[in-house]
This record gives sequence, C-alpha cells and structure tokens, in this order.
Amino acid sequence: MEPADLGQHISRRFNEDMERVRTRVMQMGGFVEQQLQQAINALVAGDSELGEQIARDDYKVNQMEVAIDEECGRILATRQPTASDLRVMVAIIKTITDLERIGDEVEKVGFIAARLATMETPADHYRAIRHLGRLVTEMLHDALHAFARLDAEEAIAVARRDRNVDLEYEAIQRQSITFMMEDPRQIRRALEVMWVVRALERIGDHAKNIGEYTVYMVHGKDIRHLSLDDAERQIRESAQERQG
Amino acid sequence: MSPAWSFALARLALALAVAIALGLIFGQLALWLALVLGGTLAWQYANLYRLQRWLRFRSHEDPPDLSGVWGDVIALVGRIYRRKQFHKRRVRQLLREFRRLSAALPDGVVLLSARREILWFNRAAASLLGLRRKLDFGMPIANLVRDPAFAGYLEGAGGGPGVVVRLHDQGVDRSLALILVTAGAQQLLLARDVTRELDVLEMRKDFVANASHELRSPLTVIAGYLEALEDEPGLGADWQGPLADMRRQAERMRRIVDDLLELSRLESRGEEAPLEPVDMPALLAQLARETQAAAPAGPRLASEIEAGCKLLGSAHELQSIAANLLSNAVKYTPETGTVTLRWSCDAAGAHLSVADTGIGIAAEHLPRLTERFYRVDRGRSRDSGGSGLGLSIVKHALQRHGGRLEITSVEGQGATFTAHFPARRLQQICNNPGLQYAPTPETGTGGAACTERD
Repeated sequence: MEPADLGQHISRRFNEDMERVRTRVMQMGGFVEQQLQQAINALVAGDSELGEQIARDDYKVNQMEVAIDEECGRILATRQPTASDLRVMVAIIKTITDLERIGDEVEKVGFIAARLATMETPADHYRAIRHLGRLVTEMLHDALHAFARLDAEEAIAVARRDRNVDLEYEAIQRQSITFMMEDPRQIRRALEVMWVVRALERIGDHAKNIGEYTVYMVHGKDIRHLSLDDAERQIRESAQERQG
Repeated sequence: MSPAWSFALARLALALAVAIALGLIFGQLALWLALVLGGTLAWQYANLYRLQRWLRFRSHEDPPDLSGVWGDVIALVGRIYRRKQFHKRRVRQLLREFRRLSAALPDGVVLLSARREILWFNRAAASLLGLRRKLDFGMPIANLVRDPAFAGYLEGAGGGPGVVVRLHDQGVDRSLALILVTAGAQQLLLARDVTRELDVLEMRKDFVANASHELRSPLTVIAGYLEALEDEPGLGADWQGPLADMRRQAERMRRIVDDLLELSRLESRGEEAPLEPVDMPALLAQLARETQAAAPAGPRLASEIEAGCKLLGSAHELQSIAANLLSNAVKYTPETGTVTLRWSCDAAGAHLSVADTGIGIAAEHLPRLTERFYRVDRGRSRDSGGSGLGLSIVKHALQRHGGRLEITSVEGQGATFTAHFPARRLQQICNNPGLQYAPTPETGTGGAACTERD
C-alpha cells in the first residue's frame, strides 16, 4: 500500500474523522515529547518546581488518551472501517497506549528530578543521563514523524536505535555500581538515578513499539517479535510481490 | 471579402465552369458535375485530415503547406499556439525566479491550505522545520510541528506576535519564532531561527540570577556584624549614626537582591501562572492589617473588598503584586493622606486597585514606570528605601496571570494603580455540590470550568 492510498475514501466525512483523530494523536505525542524534554531539563538543572509541574501534568496525557480512545471507539462503531483504515485505527489505539505509558515514565522522572534537586549535583552534571535522554527524545520524535508520514523505513530505523539505548542503559548501570562501591554515601542518589535511567530505557522501548505499529499500519505486517532484519526482508518481499 | 475567400470561391466557380463545359461537350452534365464536386469534397477532407494530424502532433511537426482558407486557418492556429507558448515560458520563468528567490530567503515560508495542510514550502522551511519535499505535501502541519504551544496558537486565529517553539531535529536544538499570516483562503507560516537571540536573553537572565544569588551571602554576613556592632557598648555615641546608616543601606541592598531574584524567577517560569484557587479577600485583608501595623503613623488605610471574589493563580505572586502596590502607595502618601485598597469582580474580570492621595506622578513618567530601576525623583526614591524593581515585579507577575496594569495620576493629587485580571482567572462558584471548579485539561487554553468531582 502506498501512503497516498490512505487519503482516498468514498466518504469525505470519514476521511476527515480519520485525519482529525490522527492529528490528535500527533498532538498528544507532541505534548509527551515536550514533557520528556522538560523532565530531563528539570533533572539536569536541579529545578524541583519544574519537576513537580511535569509530574502534576501527567493527568493531561491520561485525559488525551481517554478522549482519543473514545473517538476511535466512535469511528469503529459508526464507520466500521475495513482493510487499511482498520489498520490505521488499530495502530492509533495501540500508539496512544504507549504514549500514555511514556507519560507515566516521564511523571516518574519528574518526581525524581524534584527529589534530586535537593541533593548535590554530581561532578559530571548527569552527562550520561543527558546523553541517554537525547537518544530517547530523538527516538520518540522520529517515531512520531514516521507515524505521521506513514514512513515504514524510518520506523524500522527508529526501532533499530533501541539497541543503542539498551547499550547505554547497561553502561550507565555499570558506572553507577562503580560509583556506589567507591563511595557508599553516593548510593542513595545513584539509586534514584537508576530509576530515571530505567524509565528512559522503557521510553525507548515504547518508541520502538510506535515504530512497529507504523510498519503494521503501512504494510499490514506484525513485526513485533521478529528480528528487525527479518522484518525488513519480509516487507521488501511483500512489496516486490505487489509490484510483480 | 478576404483574398483567401475570393480565391477559394473563384477556384470553386472555375471548377464548376469546367464541369459544365465538359458536360456540354461530352454530354452527361450531371455525371461531370458530380465528379468535380466529389473531387473538391475529397480534397477538402484530405486538407481537414492534414490539419487535424498537424494539430495533434504540432509540437514536432511542421505545419502542412496548404493554400487558401486552409492556409489561413493554419496560420491563425500557429499564431495562437506560439503566443501561448510564449506566455507559458514567461510564467515558467517567473515561477523559477520566484522559487530561486524564496529559496534564498533566510526565513522559512510554508504555504498552508485553509485546513492547515502543507501546500508548498521553501528550502529554509525544509531545513528549519525538518520538512521533506513531496512526502509532506498535503500533511497537516500540526502533525509535524507538534509543540503544544504551536497547537494552541493554531487553534486560535494565528497572527499576533506569533509563538516560539523549540525543535530538535537531526541532533540540533533550535528555537523558532513562528507566525501564521492569513492571505485569502490560504495561510502562510513564517519561521525564523531565534536560537541565538534567545540564548543571549537566557545568558542575561542567568547572569542576573547568579550575580544576585552570589551577592546574598556576603550581605548576610555584613548585616549580621553590623547588628552585633550596634549593640556593642564599647563604641562611642558618635558611631551610632553611621552604624544605623550602614544597617539601613545593607537592608536596602538585601531588598534589591531579593527583588532581582524574584524578578528572574518570574521570568524563567513558563508563560502562564498556575491555576490554583487563591482566596483574594482574605489575602488582601491580611495584607492591609500588616501594612497598617508596620506603619502606624502612616496614612490612613481604607479597604473596600468584595467578599467571595476569588482568583485562580499563584498565591505567592498575587501577594507580591498587592504588597508592592500597597507599599508604594504608603511610601508616597503623606501621613494626613488616605490610601484606598479596592477589590472587585465583574463580567470583565477582577480588579485590584490601590488609590492614594499622595504626590502623584507626572504624565511623562507614566509609560516608563514599570522599567527596572526607573526613578521619577532619584534622590527621594533612594531615601524611601525602595529597590526600584517593585513595579517591574508587578508587571511580570500580572502578565503571567494574563492581566495588565493601568496607572492614572494627577500630579499633586495622588495616583491610582489598577491591576486587571481576565475573567478566565475568576474562580466561579459551582452551585451543584457534585461539581468542582478545576482547570480545564486541554493544553494551551488555560481556562477553568465546573467539572465533575473525582
């Protein structure tokens, strides 16, 4: 299926409904992106007020999820979409669940940022977390872009980047253990930091999931439990079949 | 009659004459007429065929060489065709020049449909907003520029001073100022990179905040020792005056530093103050009591406070607005004067007004009053011990509540400072006990409404 096919419907109203719900998903994504960015900023800058604000605002993400979910239910019930339209609806419903989970992880980071603000900033100014945070925010950003553009190739590229996040996660974990052994007074903070790192790693997983839903939406292939190389090959084959 | 038609008619007449002549010579007039007319018809059809063929392949075939009316028709068609080609070339050239020009523009330009879908964008927009040619045409712009501030801006009519969003694309962080301009059914989105400007602004804010913070600790030490010295019996009486002076100045410096910190705190927070319910009547009554108690010999303080008129905002900032206005009024009003504190609500919003019968302010100073460290009368203001930042703080805190400050004054007769708060910041009473008044969840609207209790 070519991305342009999604734009052709007999019913214009239906088309508009779909577009609107897609834009709302993107808006929800945008809000989550901003929350994530600011949570990392709050942590690095030691801004407890900002951290608390972010944790408080998580209810907005939840409300958006509920609203979009209801809208999707309404479309499914009244329009009864089939084929590619149905895939879009399924992908949307799954994506907002992952976005909501990202919101929960961000809330966690916000709380911890507020708590860590009272403690001394480490000598490296959370360099490792900044790096991991950057990796994860870019993944989420690109996953949402791929979702908006129905760009399966980009989506797979995003899913591939989850490996880097995992590697970084392990590296920080090892580093933290070293810190804790060197200086037991650091243990409390190091444990808090590990929660943040863990949350960021989970956000990377959710961004990967969004990439996979995009592939499903565009190609109708479920690549969730395949290795990414297999997934790419399958997609290429099915694309060739259609052409040949 | 044009020569072509005369020639054609003459040729037809000649053919008929020949047919009649031949018919008369050889007999069978009808047969000869039919033969000649049939031949003419065939010739015309042949010409029509050649004309049609040429029109179809005219771009790479020379026009057929025909005489008479057919030649005229071909010449006319050729002329129209050439003229059209000329215009097409001109339009194409203009378009190319326009494209080249728009590509050279340092600002991003995106053409949007009435439904905010991307129709066209220039090269700068592609790199600033991370748009991709072809792929992104027809896509709602909100799907790609997802900053909540921009979404809120799009929901409104656009225009105005625009909105600043932070984008990170391909590892680069950028701050962009976006403005939506409406032109007929279509809209133009202008994007400008303001990263450097904002960074400079940020640096200035950070510097002020850090410098004030660093000044605070040495000041505390100085003030502490001065206080200890005043109680020291060993010092002669002639030291008491200078010491009291030093204490006062140290106290003033502390106030300036505190106000600078407060101001930079207000600036570094987001655009909008939170929506927490604040009991303004209680807050103001308390403040009036404190002010009167702090200056019992000062001017008379009258308050007219409307009960039950509450606001949604930050208690700390609202307190700071009222305290600054009130202390200013008390400072500039003689002991025989009156300061009136008013608080009221109506359909337009809430109004906090502080009126005094003091020295007043000359009209030329009014527009500059809220500038930092602006003094109407340098000597006098210093004596009164103000930091010179009070009204700046009021202005900033008010802006964060969506409000504005109105100042009216007649020199020598007093001044009135009124802080207007918008109606959406009013806390309305929800009559139904099952409902509560709470901020509305939609991002960017910043309103509140009666909603179901959790």
